[in-house]
Amino acid sequence: MKWIILIVVVVLARLLFGRIFKVSRSKRMENPSKPLTKPKMPQLYTVSTFAKISVKRYFRDKTAIFFTILFPLIFLFVFGSFSKGGNSISFHIGLINQSSSQFAKQFENQVKSNKKMFNIDKDVNNLDQAKDKMSRSEIDATLVLPPNFGDVKNGHPAGQAVIYYNPVNQQAAQTLQTVMQGQFEDINTKYVKVDKPFTVVGKSTSHQGLTSLDYTVSGLIGFSIIGLGIFGPVNYFPEMKKQGVLRRLHITPLRSWQFFISSVLSNAVIGLVSIAIMLIVASVAFNFHIIGNYFELGLFIIFGILTIFGIGLAIGGWAKNENQAAPLANIIVFPMLFLSGTFFPRYTMPDWLQHITAYLPLTPIIDGIRMIATEGKHLTDIGPQIGLTAIWAVIIYAIAFRVFRWE
Amino acid sequence: MSKPIVEVENLHKSYDGKEVVKGISFEVEDGEVFGILGPNGAGKTTTLETIEALRPIDKGTVIVNGVDVAKNPQKVKYMIGVQLQSTSFMDKVKLTELLEQQAAAYGEKIKPLDFLKDVDLTDRAGSYVEHLSGGQKQRFSIAAALVHQPKVFFMDEPTTGLDPQARRNLWDLVQRVSKRGITIILTTHYMEEAELLCDRVAIMDSGKIIALDTPKKLVKDLLSKGFKKKQEVQQASLEDVFIDLTGKELRD
Repeated sequence: MKWIILIVVVVLARLLFGRIFKVSRSKRMENPSKPLTKPKMPQLYTVSTFAKISVKRYFRDKTAIFFTILFPLIFLFVFGSFSKGGNSISFHIGLINQSSSQFAKQFENQVKSNKKMFNIDKDVNNLDQAKDKMSRSEIDATLVLPPNFGDVKNGHPAGQAVIYYNPVNQQAAQTLQTVMQGQFEDINTKYVKVDKPFTVVGKSTSHQGLTSLDYTVSGLIGFSIIGLGIFGPVNYFPEMKKQGVLRRLHITPLRSWQFFISSVLSNAVIGLVSIAIMLIVASVAFNFHIIGNYFELGLFIIFGILTIFGIGLAIGGWAKNENQAAPLANIIVFPMLFLSGTFFPRYTMPDWLQHITAYLPLTPIIDGIRMIATEGKHLTDIGPQIGLTAIWAVIIYAIAFRVFRWE
Repeated sequence: MSKPIVEVENLHKSYDGKEVVKGISFEVEDGEVFGILGPNGAGKTTTLETIEALRPIDKGTVIVNGVDVAKNPQKVKYMIGVQLQSTSFMDKVKLTELLEQQAAAYGEKIKPLDFLKDVDLTDRAGSYVEHLSGGQKQRFSIAAALVHQPKVFFMDEPTTGLDPQARRNLWDLVQRVSKRGITIILTTHYMEEAELLCDRVAIMDSGKIIALDTPKKLVKDLLSKGFKKKQEVQQASLEDVFIDLTGKELRD
């Protein structure tokens, strides 16, 4: 983790504060030798120069940074906080203690102090208020300790607590009943020794099980890839055509494949930076753990970026203007946005929908990322995901090359 | 006389069934400044675009420096430089980076500051194009078009929209480029510009060349037909007054 943070910090500092370094550089350039030098590998130089400059350009564009880096982070915070409390059960209840016994007082304090499980509504003082709140589902249930609760009988305190609930919240109330049952059971054994021939105990399996946060993070990486790879070029390419930037390039001997490769490269760099930032935030703020190999994860993410960027390249490269590009992009993006597991895990969908959505281009990418990052799988284990992504990549780029227009 | 550097033979070009260029032929000599004049819609820009290998040729041949444009457009692209009508560069990219990128498109590595010096833009090296004035943009666009040291340089209405100072400055620049031995083909609406810069001009109208000669010869021919200006020729124009009052100093 540390080295990723270091690299990201260095890259960002270099891009954002490039000016500081500039002084020494321009001094060097004032002493020209020959104006033209053929680089050792001209093709590579062409592609790398174009990629380098478009990465620089990107990081000077504050709107683009907002939409591709900050936007997914905002989603991370929203969805992350949802799933944070998802592991423990918590009840929002009213507590009415009508008894004056010592035991009732102690029990009330015990319930109140268990803040992890019970969130007690302080405004509830009598049953009418409680019923009112329950009918509006503001509280799940109400625990009432009747007047005789905790009175001493047969040498020890005894009594029956009552859980009131609205039928709407039956499930929560029943769970609460089970929980209270367990608590009383513990208390009972202190007063009366009971022999228990059968017991049950819960044991957690491996620590690698998936939490909803794991789904959220890999889904948001998918969202980020879409934002960068599709919405980016779909907005930017028609703009470049309008300004005649592409026309200027068309006058030069630059080949469309060189332009494609340099665009893909810069997109991959920008994508990796923004995803790295997201993963860092996810691990720092939400305790997200990457179990798998960073290198394999990075490699697979690059592959995913490349594939999805092809869609943006095809739409943006084909469209003459933004009026053509935007609707087409929406038609293609929205199904992926909601059905590939970006915001909602696919396992919550009905079976038939899961079968269909399995073949969307983004689905194997999100699945693959999750399998490497949180299940610790290797590239060799996710053959189906890689295969499906590769098939899409071939289809997408075949189309993108065919429909590309410089003007 | 040496072999012409650009040979256009019976060039035709149509858009949507409408013939814009109707079989024109002309030759441009190596090292000359050649002007194409004509009213809007005469087919000047289209003619340039077909020579630049931007538009497919419908009929006829265009040969640049011995290379057939229709057969080998990629090779032609290395030999020509084009200054576009609208100065179109990516935003948020520094001038030095734009030049580097432009050269990279030709597979060349350059020292951008040398080229900025040629067009007096050294002090704007770290600026973005969108922050330049009109004249500066035009000069930068020339620098960018020449990074790969082309043999033929195309300029489409280079001084349209410039103030008189910037226009004079650009004329100087064109003459400097010409002195380096680069052949220049330009279109313009300004006759005094053509007269000053061009060794020869072709006048186009409705897709055809209706006259082609040196500016001097064309004027002489007209006079020999008995042409007389209605007004007596003045020794100075309003533009001369303007320049006299405001000076030749560039305003950008």
